[in-house]
Amino acid sequence: MNSAQQQAMTLTINGRETVWDGDPSASLADVLREGQGLTGTKIGCRTGECGACTVLMDGRPVVSCLVPAGSAQGERIETIEGLAERADYQALVQAMLEHGGVQCGFCTPGVMVTTYAWMQQPERFDGDLGAALKNNLCRCTGYLGILRAAEQALAAGGGAR
Amino acid sequence: MKTQLSKSPADLQAKLEGQTRYVHDMRLPGQLVGKILRSPHPHARIVRLDVSRARAIKGVVAVLTGEDVPHHTYGPTKFKDWNILARDRVLFIGDEIAAVAAETDAAAKQAIAAIEVEYEELPGVFDPEEAMQPGAPVLHETIAGDNRPMRIALERGDVERHKQEAAVVKSGRYRSNRIYQGHLEPIGAIASWSDEEGITIWAPSHIPYRARETYAAGFGLPEDKVRIVVPPIGGSFGSKYVLKVHVIAAALAMAARRPVKIIMDRYEDMVTAHPRVPLTFDLEIGADREGNLLYKDVVVYADAGARVYWSPNVIATACTRPDNIYRFQSAKSEGHLCYTNNSPTTCMRGFGNAEMLFAVESVIDEIALELGMDPAELRLRNIVRPGERTIHGYRLDTCLLEECIDKVKAISGWERRADLPPYRGMGIALANHVSGFRAIDPRFDGSTAVLRLKGDGSLELETGEIELGQGMSLSYARIAAQVLGVPEGSILVKSGDTGRYPFGIGTLASRSTVMGGNAAKLAAEALQRRLVSLACEVLGKGASLEDGRIRYGEETYPLSEAAAWHRARHAGEELTVRETYVPDTEMPDATYYGHPSPNYPFAAHVAEVEVDPDTGRTRVVGYWAVHDSGTIIHETMAKGQVYGAVAQGIGWVTMEDLIVEQGRVKNPSMMDYRMPGARDIPNIEIAFLEGEDPNGPLGAKSLGEVALDPVPGAIANAIAHATGKRGYELPLSAERVWRAIHST
Ligand code: FES
Ligand code: FES
Repeated sequence: MNSAQQQAMTLTINGRETVWDGDPSASLADVLREGQGLTGTKIGCRTGECGACTVLMDGRPVVSCLVPAGSAQGERIETIEGLAERADYQALVQAMLEHGGVQCGFCTPGVMVTTYAWMQQPERFDGDLGAALKNNLCRCTGYLGILRAAEQALAAGGGAR
Repeated sequence: MKTQLSKSPADLQAKLEGQTRYVHDMRLPGQLVGKILRSPHPHARIVRLDVSRARAIKGVVAVLTGEDVPHHTYGPTKFKDWNILARDRVLFIGDEIAAVAAETDAAAKQAIAAIEVEYEELPGVFDPEEAMQPGAPVLHETIAGDNRPMRIALERGDVERHKQEAAVVKSGRYRSNRIYQGHLEPIGAIASWSDEEGITIWAPSHIPYRARETYAAGFGLPEDKVRIVVPPIGGSFGSKYVLKVHVIAAALAMAARRPVKIIMDRYEDMVTAHPRVPLTFDLEIGADREGNLLYKDVVVYADAGARVYWSPNVIATACTRPDNIYRFQSAKSEGHLCYTNNSPTTCMRGFGNAEMLFAVESVIDEIALELGMDPAELRLRNIVRPGERTIHGYRLDTCLLEECIDKVKAISGWERRADLPPYRGMGIALANHVSGFRAIDPRFDGSTAVLRLKGDGSLELETGEIELGQGMSLSYARIAAQVLGVPEGSILVKSGDTGRYPFGIGTLASRSTVMGGNAAKLAAEALQRRLVSLACEVLGKGASLEDGRIRYGEETYPLSEAAAWHRARHAGEELTVRETYVPDTEMPDATYYGHPSPNYPFAAHVAEVEVDPDTGRTRVVGYWAVHDSGTIIHETMAKGQVYGAVAQGIGWVTMEDLIVEQGRVKNPSMMDYRMPGARDIPNIEIAFLEGEDPNGPLGAKSLGEVALDPVPGAIANAIAHATGKRGYELPLSAERVWRAIHST
């Protein structure tokens, strides 16, 4: 609400440094979408309950609707647009198409970001993608297509390891 | 730079790469933020409404009240009880009173807060049976003086006689609850106005032509002065049909003469949600000693809420459709649709059928128990068969229900059921559905497709049906590609713009595969004929179309060549065909008798559950779904429909409940309204029994809704098997199951 303090902030988004003038308490989700035009990140609730706004901060999935933009300074922020450029991400895309991991697509950016992070470092999530996805709601797919796609992509060497 | 083009605006790959633009990602030049002031009371008179302070706020461009908008009689069904903004009375919490368009979100919020309203609270009524009592507050005097806009009474055969003859009678009062559709994309729209074109609304709606007609009536405009453009839809399941938000955005755009965007936040979306119509069933079924079902007798009460959305169609479905699974010798239904001061209720996947089947499949299991019969055996004895005409007149050209039951028994290991450990249970349930329904629009049924040959030899297929992520575009491309022998990837499917594409009745009633698919097939066949005759004209007699190329003797030519031949002969115009599929169905008569759909899909599901006796919590540990949906056009997408539907059913039965007390939603957040997560879904094994249906495109029948219909019954029966206690009210929450276990 309080847009009184404007501040210049340096954010590293998808490998590029950008200076953004604004309220440091604004949500990272809004800054990405409105400020940077990165509308791949979706907003389903603004209260941290749906996971559609998930992005990576230093490789860790966070719900960007709850992250104040100011606190994201100095962190490596990656959105779905950035991840989509990578070859190992494309393997996951193909697996999702094969297994029906996407329907309406609104949860998909968040689901993909989380799943990709899990593929990089499963141990960070106790190894289980079901556990990693606990903050990502999907109303369309029943999750099974997502889980199978991720397993396939991981088995095919899609992870970083 | 990427040069590969997507197959449609809702292309799945684009979704996986974050490139899809939903309405909340759109921004039009000069766009304003719209917000709505809603009633905090379930029933009240507006005594004073003062917007002068709101109008004076910097950045506010338009403020509208009921005094500033037209008041025509309109609504999406024949019960025309809608307004644009309330003038004197509000009928539910969330009823719209005023609306604001402003330069910024902050200014719009400030303006809403600055509107002064004084209310005189009126007594409300919140239960359909109470609403019918004399003396209850009346919501819409001109439509239903007794709060009952619709009543159903039908009887086939002689129920009274069968009641005398029955050896076993089971009955009960069953209830299905309010379910929030749970679309991940919150509801919203952008509207604009111009004097030449009228209203344009960018709105995720899968029934945009009905929306156009409804909104035009609301503004007193001709139908073609409203255009609905449908961006990719971020989930609906019935929630995104015809909505007041669209109308209010348009009213604001007309007043502000600038585009206006309204996106609800999740709280507003849930507080004002139009959930699944809650139904109460007083159901009784009787059978003879051998287990032949004799009759079904039901009274259904439906809570429409304060206005009619799609509740009439839902109660009509509940009163009839499940009867077409069994050979009941007689059946009687009485239905009462009632107004209350709750938020209007509407459709959700399953559409009355899934609700009624929860009750019917529960009672059938009770009969089996009493007769000491295996529930699967009892069903096998009573199901409808191919070639039959059902009790309400459905003509079954194909029906693999028997095979579905056999198969689901085999893959679930049904014989294990007899010796499961304590508090573990297995339940079976059957389902049917339609593939389009003749009475959705009494004036007409069917679908139109336009197929166009582009200069590069690729094809564009235009349809009036709507992509929801279910795979409609992929299916249509596959159907047309098979007819023409061209690669699927060379066909771009376009839809979702009432100003550009053919008329469509809407993607509801599981219509899209069979209706739009048949239209796509007809268009592809017409294009094939046109291509062959063009080739004969250009090359000589005997030219043909083979594997997507023109052949004449030893020579073959790509379709790009044919495109050029046509353009050369037709002033540059592209070769285009337009075909309409009109199904050979019957409009149900006044007693709901008739053959309303080109074909009917069937399913048999088995659920296995484990109930914790200390907490009452149910975990679904295994699930098997066998379907007769005719030919499966796209297996991956078809499986996705079943997985998603079963997951929604698991949520419905074990956890979801939009709790409304005195008209107020008590759990308007995704935290408090819990939906299934990845770990709530067991392994789901699916089998499609592919028999070709003569009336479906490539032999297909529908799938999207029949995949949800049996889930509540299957899980409820599994819980009853596990605990020995029958649950009558959804959801079968931990608390309810615990109480049932500990009741005597
Ligand atoms: S929008 Fe951030 S969790 Fe839902
Ligand atoms: S694909 Fe629609 S919510 Fe996940």
